[in-house]
Amino acid sequence: MKRTFTLLFLTMIVFALILSGCGGKKAKKGNREIIVAAISEPDSVDVHRTSSMGDANSALYDPLMKYDDNGNIVGNLVKEYTVSPDGKEVTFELKEVVEFHSGKPVNAEAVKKSFERLMESSPFKTNAGDISKIEVVSEYVFKITWNEPFAPFFTNATSDYLSPIDVSVLDSNGEGFEKNPSATGALKLKEIKRGDSLVYEPSDKYDWGKEGPGFDKVTYRFIPDEETRILEFKKGNVDVLGSVPYQYIEELEKEDGVTIVRVPNYVLSYLGWNNKKPIFQDVRVRQAIAMAIDRDAIISNTFRGEAKPVFGPLPPATFGYSEKIEEMARSKYAKDLDKAKQLLSEAGWKDKNKDGIVMKDGKPFKVDLWVDDDPANQRAAQIIQNQLKEIGIDLSISVKESATIIEQTPKGAHDMLLWGFGWLDADVLNFLLFGEGKSTRLHYEVEEIYSLLEKGALEMDQEKRLKLYEDAQKLLVEQSPWVPLYVKENITAIRNFEEFEIHPRRNLIMWENVKVAK
Amino acid sequence: MSSYLLKRLLTMGVTLIGVSLLVFFMIHLVPGNPVTYILGDFATVESIKELESRLGLDLPIITQYWTYMLNAVQGDLGTSYITGYTVVEEILNRIPITAQLALYSVTFGSIIGILMGIIAAVKQNTVYDQLAMLIALVGISAPGFWIALFLILLFSYQLGIFPISGYSGFYSLILPSITLGLGTAGTIARMTRSSMLDVIKQDYIRTAQAKGASLYRLIFQHSLQNALIPVVTVIGMQFGYLMAGAVVTETVFALPGLGSLVVSAISTRDIPTVQGLLLFMASMIILANLVVDLLYTKLDPRIRFD
Repeated sequence: MKRTFTLLFLTMIVFALILSGCGGKKAKKGNREIIVAAISEPDSVDVHRTSSMGDANSALYDPLMKYDDNGNIVGNLVKEYTVSPDGKEVTFELKEVVEFHSGKPVNAEAVKKSFERLMESSPFKTNAGDISKIEVVSEYVFKITWNEPFAPFFTNATSDYLSPIDVSVLDSNGEGFEKNPSATGALKLKEIKRGDSLVYEPSDKYDWGKEGPGFDKVTYRFIPDEETRILEFKKGNVDVLGSVPYQYIEELEKEDGVTIVRVPNYVLSYLGWNNKKPIFQDVRVRQAIAMAIDRDAIISNTFRGEAKPVFGPLPPATFGYSEKIEEMARSKYAKDLDKAKQLLSEAGWKDKNKDGIVMKDGKPFKVDLWVDDDPANQRAAQIIQNQLKEIGIDLSISVKESATIIEQTPKGAHDMLLWGFGWLDADVLNFLLFGEGKSTRLHYEVEEIYSLLEKGALEMDQEKRLKLYEDAQKLLVEQSPWVPLYVKENITAIRNFEEFEIHPRRNLIMWENVKVAK
Repeated sequence: MSSYLLKRLLTMGVTLIGVSLLVFFMIHLVPGNPVTYILGDFATVESIKELESRLGLDLPIITQYWTYMLNAVQGDLGTSYITGYTVVEEILNRIPITAQLALYSVTFGSIIGILMGIIAAVKQNTVYDQLAMLIALVGISAPGFWIALFLILLFSYQLGIFPISGYSGFYSLILPSITLGLGTAGTIARMTRSSMLDVIKQDYIRTAQAKGASLYRLIFQHSLQNALIPVVTVIGMQFGYLMAGAVVTETVFALPGLGSLVVSAISTRDIPTVQGLLLFMASMIILANLVVDLLYTKLDPRIRFD
């Protein structure tokens, strides 16, 4: 008996030690190594497979176009481009010096093959538009033909979703990019430890300028627990701490050598509802809800002031944003409880039994708000609940998983939802919110708005395009089919840097402007 | 014995088919699907249909299940819809960490738990007994995340003895193992105590004591062996559960084990990964049960399966 147990115990220990050998030791942090703590691992580093791009996977890629310092879209990998008179064909000339991480040239043939894979397999292929043909004109010149002009292409091409990848690294099934990625970004993937970390090094094919890269290695560590991430940063094991929870900003600011970097997020949070439901059919009801919302109260109580209120349909980072529209919306929908109550009353919603909840045709104004499991969003939902109660609306809150909200809201299963969207082009309004047959969560189908948004997507002249979106936004402000709320600040805590910059529109680390302190 | 084993393995097969059926149909009933998750805000009616067709989700559910099971029995658990890795690859990537964590924590929990149980039984109704049971109670009832954070703050952040998080070999698994092992130790301590108390009150122990057997001999040779059967059951079951991944501990310590994988797979509705992982986890628990049953024969020669 004793022998059996001793044997069993020893076997367990030996087995455990063998297994522990599988992990290996973590290398000591080098002088010019940067460790970034991220909440979650990207589902894939393959831009044609991933469901979202973030810092940890986008550094592999470099977009075709970019924004210059004045906010104009200019070529990045592209040297110049010409648009045909009918707007359906655009000829792009590539810079001749660019190479993939593998050392292969980024020429017209490579870009064509990359686009073909994108059109075949990417969930984001709609960002490229309805392409009918891609032709190689010469070694560095290619031409894209669309079935209809597609004006958002240039803005969309400033994102990584349309960045070229090196298809020569793929296997015969078009797979394998995850394990051996090659693209044109500032960072080259060195090692993947699934669930744990991604290790990058500066790409020697990237144009780092005269001084070269300001670091030797970048390790993204995935630490899902908030407390653990903060402790790792405070202990000095992490140099860049992204998505700092708002309640920790003050504490981290007091730490020696720590700098807090704030960049407005391009995602606009909104309070939406299913406009097909009878309760939301009356424009006065929708306007009353908009007037009952006090954005500043939500921002100060939920995000400790680290967000900017937005009244118009588009956030400032999006092409098509207009100060004029924002001002118009702000003056129309600044918090005004008396006006809101008056509008509800005109729409027939009155507090007849004096219980604080308005009624119409014997039914109380009772709706349910869906919110995801982010604690900050839940706090915001509670504040909205109180604010709507002030005008007699009885709001209940249902916390749902994101996957459930994504699937169920286009089906119209919800009353209201607290959600957000982010994209760089105003076409997002057509795509995410009000387009026919699209993933609309608002179910607001008005021909006049839809037609303007459709025209906006076809118009290649930027001035005319902006005017179309301005007209559409005016209607949206007037009709109030939702309540735009705020753009949160992206808070990043950093330490040990001489230079560090985050792209103001894309919210990504600009590795060419990063230099580790000596 | 061999016919018993065969019978148990057959039962295991049937149980796994039941588990697979349950998991497969349950995950299809839960709101949210992988296609809308992948396409997100960029979903159109056409793109949803196209992706459903590519992933085979447009086929009748019975056909999907049948195809899945046919592949599964050949060792192919499918490919993740989200990551592009095969489910077998994902499991193999993560199993060393989960297995080590399970081994270390069960070993730690067993040693501490059995020792505390023995002390509590031998010193029944003394301050030692009460202290041991208090520790056991704390181990069982204190939430895992609380113990984990306490250990991290003390041993990693303040004293700098262990890494705060991440996997870097044996050293990095000590605190997570203690976190998990404390709960196991508590359960085992209570079980050992009550089992030992039953045994030490029996006549043959009194006889051995009368014949002048030492305390060490009384405990370890005469009592413990007979008291261990229920304890081994607990150890085996704990090991089985821990092999299925410890979600909270893996999350707090940022360990890339099976627990964290199953959470992310469920939230993204990655059906092949969820299905494959749950089948694997069910197998681990069934196997742990089998091993426990087989160990009974070693502990008590009167138990025979034939």
